[in-house]
Amino acid sequence: MDWHFSPTTGSPYWLERATSLEFDPRVDVKSFEDLTLFPNVTNELRDVRAQDLIPQGYGPHPEVIGVFESGGTTGAPKRIVMLRDWWDSELARQVAHLEAQGLPRNRNWLALLPSGPHMAGALLRSQAAAMGGVPFTIDMDPRWVKKVIAAGNADEANAYAEHLIDQAAFVLQTQDIGVLWTTPPLLERLARRDDLVELVREKVQLIGWAGAHMDVDTRQLYRTEIFPGLTIVGSYGSTMVLGGAPERLGLTDEDPCIFDPPSPYITFSVVEPDTGRTVPNGERGQVVMNHVSKSFLLPNNLERDMATRMSPLEGQVGDSVADVTPVQQFDNETVIEGVY
Amino acid sequence: MSTTAELPALDALGPTGAYHTHERQTITDVAGNPLAELSLVPKLYVTRAMAALHKAETLGVDERLAALARAGEAHATGTVDGVPAAQHQFIVSRASGMPISVVRSAGEAIARSAAEVYRSVQYARPVGAVNHWRDPLTRTGRAVWTRRGDVFAVHAPGNHPGVHGLWLEALALGYRVAVRPSRRDPFTPHRLISALRAAGFGDDQVVLLPCGYDAADEILRGADLAMAYGGEDVMRKFAGYSTMLPQGPGRSKILLTADVDWREHLDVIAASISHEGGRACVNTTAVFVQGDTAPVARAIAERLAAIPSLPPEDEHAVLPVLPLADAQTVERHLLARAAGAVPWLGGDGVVDDLGDGSAVLRPAVHELDRPDAEQAGVELAFPCVWVAPWTPEAALEPLKDTLVLTAITHDTHLVDRLVAEPTIANVYVGDHPTYWIEPGIPHDGYLADFLMRTKAVIRD
Repeated sequence: MDWHFSPTTGSPYWLERATSLEFDPRVDVKSFEDLTLFPNVTNELRDVRAQDLIPQGYGPHPEVIGVFESGGTTGAPKRIVMLRDWWDSELARQVAHLEAQGLPRNRNWLALLPSGPHMAGALLRSQAAAMGGVPFTIDMDPRWVKKVIAAGNADEANAYAEHLIDQAAFVLQTQDIGVLWTTPPLLERLARRDDLVELVREKVQLIGWAGAHMDVDTRQLYRTEIFPGLTIVGSYGSTMVLGGAPERLGLTDEDPCIFDPPSPYITFSVVEPDTGRTVPNGERGQVVMNHVSKSFLLPNNLERDMATRMSPLEGQVGDSVADVTPVQQFDNETVIEGVY
Repeated sequence: MSTTAELPALDALGPTGAYHTHERQTITDVAGNPLAELSLVPKLYVTRAMAALHKAETLGVDERLAALARAGEAHATGTVDGVPAAQHQFIVSRASGMPISVVRSAGEAIARSAAEVYRSVQYARPVGAVNHWRDPLTRTGRAVWTRRGDVFAVHAPGNHPGVHGLWLEALALGYRVAVRPSRRDPFTPHRLISALRAAGFGDDQVVLLPCGYDAADEILRGADLAMAYGGEDVMRKFAGYSTMLPQGPGRSKILLTADVDWREHLDVIAASISHEGGRACVNTTAVFVQGDTAPVARAIAERLAAIPSLPPEDEHAVLPVLPLADAQTVERHLLARAAGAVPWLGGDGVVDDLGDGSAVLRPAVHELDRPDAEQAGVELAFPCVWVAPWTPEAALEPLKDTLVLTAITHDTHLVDRLVAEPTIANVYVGDHPTYWIEPGIPHDGYLADFLMRTKAVIRD
């Protein structure tokens, strides 16, 4: 807190924002629990000048990897700045985790993930390189899909998604791809095409998924029926925490899909949506994410996900989460007329 | 929860057998007591199940007709998966709130549809068409009646178990079939499909895919042709898709002209409103009267008022039952829509609390003052009728958009026009209730009109 709120090292954004806080972060925030004192400022990241997010402690020439943006599901995108030191440490953690999952080095990667200003695509390129592989990518603009879906144009959304799979097909057919990263909806589309399933079975050793939700039954179908013998691992993260939580090692087909965040930098809690109180272990609630590192501070960010609160790994701060799903859209039971 | 762990499991019935999922929904009875845990399949499973249906064989026609007849009989009176018919009917009645006598009759009707399905579908075959290209008539050129596809999907409703008699016609015609059950009554299609499998249909020829909305769309996507039940929203969603057959509102009506004495037809009128728990698309929603509407409304109200409030499993139950909160929602909607109408029955409300968390929906009778009053199209899933005036000047306009119109009249010129009107699906003239339905008689056109086409064949 000293780093982020000291006039010499803090970012212009947080120093300005601190003037309207009802507490003094440097005095009052002493523990993980105290992060809940912060208001959820995530929405302000839609408008703030990106340079103002960089802590001044990095000096006049910080090494910026890139400016990354949220998906843009709800209006204007939110923006964060990725600095070299955090990027390197996040990369090292993820690579170590993949190696622990048995992923061999020197395999080529195919990332069917958002390109452009999104973090996932960029992170995957660096990971592939760090593991001695060559990254192959496709063009993918998730915002366009959301826009045409919102406009009720399901056919166009469908055509765009098939276009993404077509791009992947060319790479899978002609290149030696050992690692495939994608989103659950795209993996489902890929699995519809028998020829692509066959190619993946032949060539790929690990399928990683991120950026959406995969239920236990679907995960089990992939692991037992569609891609038996392949390693299939998930990652649950967010651009707003500058990274993610990998799937816990050694889970069986029957286990819930548990994600452990790299605390203390990225931490989760699972709360009742109405009260904000932490739910008991094993109960479902809405996910709150925190990022606290030297390069960035974003505490108390209520995500649009529900999850089961799980016991963390030893030494981990906060909660682990499992069975992540979107916040439910409750049907208001207004449908009454008619007999069906 | 330990109690739900002991609930009977209602698995999906997939192309390689029963499929038990982690994602499940507890199906409760109308009082909120859990009855079963329904497996909900993910979209990916649907994709693969539909692909399996496409790859599957079709049983020969003799085999499938015999299997259909056996399955219908087992469903109605036998024991399926260890569940005797009486127990099944009790569960459906408790889950859906449908009077048990209606559930039992629906089972019998399904058995009859299954037994007579070949005759039924043959009525839909154009007189110029033969069933097979090997028919000698094709040597000189002939139409052959053929399927428009191989895989048919149904988004089934839960309003009435009898709806499951219809898609049996698709099986008879050689389609492989996927059914997405309603969460209000997954029991009926589960039992029927289990019986079909026991009778000889392969697991990859008829499947039950309970699922959420996202996966439900995948069932339609994976089928060649599909039928979905729903309201105006479903009609709009699928309008313009030649591969979709939306089944929309019924808005069935009765017309009483001045040249008949309506008192002689009161039995048919009252039964058309209250039969089938008032939940079927063939139940009468509006009665149009040429002449004074008040005596008609009064007489109907007197008849319907005498029906007792009973739990659905009672042999004498006639009225539908819902969870109390749902019943209150329906009541609020009725009272809001009835503003401006004259209430003869149910004007203060229709909910009769049974005290166990469930409530009977008692009948409602309202009188409208204009032929074009919009309430006449308000179809609610309980005995609820709107009595409106009709004049020859109003003509056909108020009678349009109707599944069944019973015209009690001697005016054959009027009947000519009713039969010619495209938005009236069925016309019953005289003392016939709107819910009359028979195998071989079209319900909303023949389903086979949608499932089949003719194809020219000539050979040496």
